Amino acid sequence: MAMELYRISVKRFFMIFFSLSIILLFTFVLSLSIGSTVVNPVDVFIKLVYNFIYTMLDIFGVPHSPIGFGADKVYNIAMLRLGRTVASVLTGFLLGVAGLLIQTVTRNPLAEPYILGLSSTALTAITIGIIIAPNIIVHRWTLMTIAFIGSLLGFTLTLVLSRLAGGTSISLVLAGIAVNALFSGVSHTLLYSIQKIIKIHYVFLLMGSTSTILLGDTILLLAPSLTGITVALLMFKMLNAFIYGDEYAKQLGYNPGIVLIITSTIVSILTASTVAVIGIVGFIGLAAPHISRLLVGTDHRFSIPVVAVIGAVITTIADIIVRIISLLSAGLGELPLGVITSTIGAPFLAYLIIKRMKGYEDSY
Amino acid sequence: MKIVIKNLEVWYNSVKALSNVSLEIVEGEMTFVIGPNGAGKSTLLKAISLLVSPKKGVVYIDGRDARLYSARELAKMVTYVNPYISKTIPSTVLEYLMTARYPHRNLLSFKEDKRDLEVIEKVSQQMNIAHLLNRRLDQLSSGELQRVIIARALIQQPEVILLDEPSAFLDLRYRLEILEYIKRITKTEGTVTIIAIHDLYLASLYADKVILLSNGSIVAYGNTEEVLKKEIIENIYGVRIAILKVNNKHIIAPIEPVKKVDCVRSD
Repeated sequence: MAMELYRISVKRFFMIFFSLSIILLFTFVLSLSIGSTVVNPVDVFIKLVYNFIYTMLDIFGVPHSPIGFGADKVYNIAMLRLGRTVASVLTGFLLGVAGLLIQTVTRNPLAEPYILGLSSTALTAITIGIIIAPNIIVHRWTLMTIAFIGSLLGFTLTLVLSRLAGGTSISLVLAGIAVNALFSGVSHTLLYSIQKIIKIHYVFLLMGSTSTILLGDTILLLAPSLTGITVALLMFKMLNAFIYGDEYAKQLGYNPGIVLIITSTIVSILTASTVAVIGIVGFIGLAAPHISRLLVGTDHRFSIPVVAVIGAVITTIADIIVRIISLLSAGLGELPLGVITSTIGAPFLAYLIIKRMKGYEDSY
Repeated sequence: MKIVIKNLEVWYNSVKALSNVSLEIVEGEMTFVIGPNGAGKSTLLKAISLLVSPKKGVVYIDGRDARLYSARELAKMVTYVNPYISKTIPSTVLEYLMTARYPHRNLLSFKEDKRDLEVIEKVSQQMNIAHLLNRRLDQLSSGELQRVIIARALIQQPEVILLDEPSAFLDLRYRLEILEYIKRITKTEGTVTIIAIHDLYLASLYADKVILLSNGSIVAYGNTEEVLKKEIIENIYGVRIAILKVNNKHIIAPIEPVKKVDCVRSD
């Protein structure tokens, strides 16, 4: 029974991970095809495959006839969107994993980096950094470090406030809302005053947007997402033990304080890097962990890879919706990405709160 | 395996929870810890498993100061079972039980060991929870959850089992079945088994040794018949009891409180 159940869950994980990857590939191609000029996704896909094969042949030094479609119009248009598409996939990775980890470490299914105020404190830290030393804006890694310090401080502040308020799961969310509201206001004001320096409309930083991302910038997202996912996967046993309580983790020989510190650091790095590169995108980290737990359960060995892919699919779809709206409304510019994710995510939060408050309220 | 406690003193902030506790507990015996609320039963168990650190005194496990073991060595040897676990993040019974094998595995091994799953299989059959493995912890009845939590401790295969109120949510049948099962394991595996319990009836039924605590100090410690005497129990608990002799065992039956609660309103 135990053996069979375990085998089934492993099989289930591989099947779900595989299907989700196919869905991600599908959304990826779709995202390359949709924008101010819509091209045929099938065309884009075929050309991507061709290009991939030829690149591989080049790398392994196999002689071949020159690439079939030279400076193809469809391909070039699609490649214009490569940067933002890769950025939205990576943002999804980061926010999905950050959401799962923050829910584990607070043992609260309502937790999310944006709701708990990590994003707005990161943004506030960035704006303060820019005000003190305006040239910092070109040093992207420095900017990310500052954002990281901001979000770590934000998370600490939220945790302290919620402990003071009794340490229940709802008090954590309320503390997060207070921190988030305060620092949204502060960063809003500061961003307004430094608009001249940052040169893009500050709403994009406040609500996140992938429209200004270049392909070269995505390394800023790739590095933290790989590190974060690897470290989190390596400590899956501690995380699995941690969800049953501090005392339980301690009994299995793990130090719950250290688990809390390492995990909070990873969550802050993940959140801060998205804020520094594309701005605040909320609610991805709330929905993705719930869907992944529904599919593969709580075991972090399985849920971390799955939550990353789910986050990526959601974010990429949200980014496609952004472009479809601007296509249909013919408005000026684009909507920020965070507007779409909030519109989808906030009802989900409401549903979770109702489900939770109707049941019992236990402290964590 | 033997546990020796010397002059243990535990404080919670400015409250003294245990004072001057010295004990010697041997393997292969069921040792029950009894005492009124706040007597220090849980604190004693937590101090042995190093979940709380004593202000004074030492706990020797197998002749060595418990603090000298690494966290993992200690996790392999000692398990403390608290009836309350956090289940706010929903997980299945199997996922929970698998964590119990972690102390025996490398931190970084990703694959589940076949032997671990066999241990889980065996214990869950014996505890009659095999049909629950696929269920979520928050969907179990409190009795089922209690059995799962005790099964977890046994899956950990420790040499020292510390059970805190194992009978709290169980019905009559499972109370007896589980204590019977733990007794069998204690005898066959030669574990040190210490059980903190409120139910004096169960203590008198299963204990080999009894530790009676009151206000953080030991009132009596010894064989069951020596400790569970009418005068001692009536004095500490403030309850009138009767001692029945059934199957050569002294069974405690509580009768009534010494001081009756005054129900007549004074106004």
